[in-house]
Amino acid sequence: MIFKILRVCLLLGVCTLAYGQNTFTVEGAVLDAITLKPLKDVNILNASFNAVSDRNGKFFLQNVPLGSHQIKVTHVGYGNQIVTIDVDDDSMPLTILMKEKVTSLEEVELIAKTDRRKAQELSTISVAISEDFLESNRENSLMQTLKKVPGVSTITIGSGQSKPVIRGLGFNRVSVVQNGIKHEAQQWGNDHGLEIDQYGIDNIQIIKGPASLLYGSDAIAGVVDIEPPKIPEVGSFEGEVNLLGETNNDLFGVSAGAQARKQDWYYRGRLTYRDYADYKVPTDRIRYESYIFDLHENNLRNTAGTEANASVSVGYVGGKMKSETFISNVNAKNGFFANAHGLEVRTSSIDYDESNRDVDLPYHKVNHFKVTNNTTFFLDEHTVRVDVGFQNNQREEHSEPVPHGYMPKPTDSKERVFTKNTLSANAKTTFRPNSAHDMVFGINTELQNNNIGGWGFLIPEYKRYSAGAFAFDHYRVSDNFHIQGGLRYDWGLMQTESYTDWFQSRIANSDGTVSNVFLQRAQNKNLTFQNVNGSVGISYLRNKTTYKVNMGKSFRMPLPNELASDGVNYHMYRYERGNIDLNPEQSYQIDADVDHRGKGYYLGASPFVNFFENFIYLNPTSDYYETLQVYEYVQSKVFRFGGELRAGVDITSSFHADASLEYVYSRQTSGPKKNFTLPFSPPLSALFSLNYEFENIWLLNKPVFSADLRVTARQDDIVPPEEETEGYQVLHLSAMAGVRLFEQLPPAQIRVKLNNVFHTEYYDHTSFYRLIDVPEAGRNLSVSLTFPF
Amino acid sequence: MKLMKRAFYFMPLAVLLMASCSSDEDSDIDEQKPTISLNSGFPQSCEELKRGETYTFRAAAADNLELASYSLNIHHNFDHHTHDDQGSSCELNAIKASENPMIFMENYSLEEGLTSYEINLVIEIPNDVDTGDYHCAYSVTDVTGWQARTSVDIKIVE
Repeated sequence: MIFKILRVCLLLGVCTLAYGQNTFTVEGAVLDAITLKPLKDVNILNASFNAVSDRNGKFFLQNVPLGSHQIKVTHVGYGNQIVTIDVDDDSMPLTILMKEKVTSLEEVELIAKTDRRKAQELSTISVAISEDFLESNRENSLMQTLKKVPGVSTITIGSGQSKPVIRGLGFNRVSVVQNGIKHEAQQWGNDHGLEIDQYGIDNIQIIKGPASLLYGSDAIAGVVDIEPPKIPEVGSFEGEVNLLGETNNDLFGVSAGAQARKQDWYYRGRLTYRDYADYKVPTDRIRYESYIFDLHENNLRNTAGTEANASVSVGYVGGKMKSETFISNVNAKNGFFANAHGLEVRTSSIDYDESNRDVDLPYHKVNHFKVTNNTTFFLDEHTVRVDVGFQNNQREEHSEPVPHGYMPKPTDSKERVFTKNTLSANAKTTFRPNSAHDMVFGINTELQNNNIGGWGFLIPEYKRYSAGAFAFDHYRVSDNFHIQGGLRYDWGLMQTESYTDWFQSRIANSDGTVSNVFLQRAQNKNLTFQNVNGSVGISYLRNKTTYKVNMGKSFRMPLPNELASDGVNYHMYRYERGNIDLNPEQSYQIDADVDHRGKGYYLGASPFVNFFENFIYLNPTSDYYETLQVYEYVQSKVFRFGGELRAGVDITSSFHADASLEYVYSRQTSGPKKNFTLPFSPPLSALFSLNYEFENIWLLNKPVFSADLRVTARQDDIVPPEEETEGYQVLHLSAMAGVRLFEQLPPAQIRVKLNNVFHTEYYDHTSFYRLIDVPEAGRNLSVSLTFPF
Repeated sequence: MKLMKRAFYFMPLAVLLMASCSSDEDSDIDEQKPTISLNSGFPQSCEELKRGETYTFRAAAADNLELASYSLNIHHNFDHHTHDDQGSSCELNAIKASENPMIFMENYSLEEGLTSYEINLVIEIPNDVDTGDYHCAYSVTDVTGWQARTSVDIKIVE
């Protein structure tokens, strides 16, 4: 993808110096098409001869036979170009002009086409998300922005946090990958959100379907792969400042980024800051079970927060390699709804209504520090990519200390602290033995160290080592018929540490006496896991239609909470019991996709069928432990099917209509909840969009108006302890335009968005706050300004 | 895997099914929570219980299918951390620290086949526990794993 060629201008003329009867030496030079500066380390290749340009851009091709030859000219950041040379006695020196990637519209379209073609050839069902999409659909968090993609939904908590759900599965069944490294945090947590800055992202690849083959454990339902940004052009300096204001939660956000490149070295940096108040819901009263919470000015008490992110990177591009090192830090603090934390109803002497901007207890704060390096070596027949990453995730949950059960009142608010360090190293080589095959061999390794703190125990400390190796082949049967397949083996070791309560509990002995003991909640255990996965798929391109079928097996290593938890989760009113005998979760899935793109319209369908041999499920039992309902981890067979339909039409050249529909059906076919669905099953949902693009009006450059209507059916397919959720319709409007403020600068982008136009009171079945009957946010007007420079 | 194979042939149908996703087979699953009521139970909101006395705690539980277990939890509310769901609000005493609060946490299993049950628990309020505001929470589960809860604010007095 980095090899994006835009245009190669070529002045043909070949000079040869005769060295013998039939072979010649071809002399030439490669120059940057705009600056006319020589380009060094450019590869000039042919099956029988090759050369690399020197500091002055010069190269010599030796022993070139008489006649016409095709040569391939490649340079990182400039891409590939095939050039035909005619070699004879009268040939002149060759001059090749290569043009760097620039950001004119025409060229972006060209790139989009190649990317689309690439996606068509892949048998996996994937959706490419561009910077433009992110820019025009930006919501409060990255995953909320991606919700518009059919088949993608989110589990949200409050206005600032969300995590991905693909076709009804989320938590650790979706992998999030950034710059080639899997994002590792407390994904299993109900009230955890993705710690990734949503600004400064160029490209996201969403894979719907099993992807363990290339991504390892957890990529069961799919992958959100955030790709490294494009390499800036030689001699460039560019950047942007983005300002965002929202009325619903009084949000103010600013993000500024810049990047520069001289010749071989380039640099980037970005700072993001967001501060928001409590969000408003279209009700002044929350009714949860038989409790009633009156809201002050419709504010969902204590849901304010802040986010401050910084990132820098430095990269190098040479002829034979490129490398970029990213350092980023994401820091966020969010309050949780004060009247009910989890399911637990709380009263407090804190004056939450004094200000809607302050964050009182309960809240959480998270800091995610990440260093990653992506290095690619371009060897003759191999492209070797090495990704190395270190992540530190520090998460603290604070709540007002209260005595619970036998636990006396703790002295501070630090309920849970999770410190997680993850070291990852991946390597893969792409090898093309002949033009029909692209083979990839790779290994992934990861080391995790999880520490806990605070007075509330949920999961034990643990270390996890895992390694996997895979081989993958993309076989081009013909230009339009592709077969892909591969195999993978994974091994993992989990070491859990023992944990003993810091307080005594009263237990009844068999002889009728009572004793007070420090209960042991977790034990030292060593558990190993292994798994073999594979997938095979075909893609067939016929005229305007692409057909795909993919079959794959994916897996997930059990998590320590699933294996070893043994504690009370007071906020959820439950006692959670792990099961040390859990096996790695295994999932088989068949995906299909038909995509038809005609003149002025498109149609598509992507159905899937999925079977879990042993889905890990937290089952609410009928039993009690210290008056809390016992939930225990069990494994059951699960059968699912569903998919997405999509269609679009150009009503006129400037008026477009799109529609999409998504549906998932899930059934547990064994186990204690046989015939029930899975938790957080998204309901049938459709999205209808209209877009109208105007001609330039005065200062406004191509204003676009759009309307999105989301229609979601009632969800009555539930599993304890869920509630049915009514269907809803909600309308969002937005307008976007470029504004040319200064002649010297690219136009500024202005976007005005009105979410939930009718201030509809509706509930999202996959929202965490749904459990306590909190509706979704009310009407919100947001204004976003982007100034590029 | 057999299921999967069959499912594969039906994939085009899956798309049609999306439009008409009736769930006939749901009829054999239990989607109803049990209920628990303190209407004629004990204690009622703001009830004052004397130390050293013995009381019968009563609540009515019912379920459409079969009740499974119930529990009673009495804990102090000296810090005003919670309130009851009976729709009334009791005057709470001043916030204070606990020394020897009463903690009652007991779970009980029910015999099979009951769709309604009158909870009757005879509990003595110990002589040495702290007086003040307490919270009394009943909960009940059915065989499916649905739960219902209710709670009431009470006081323990001299």
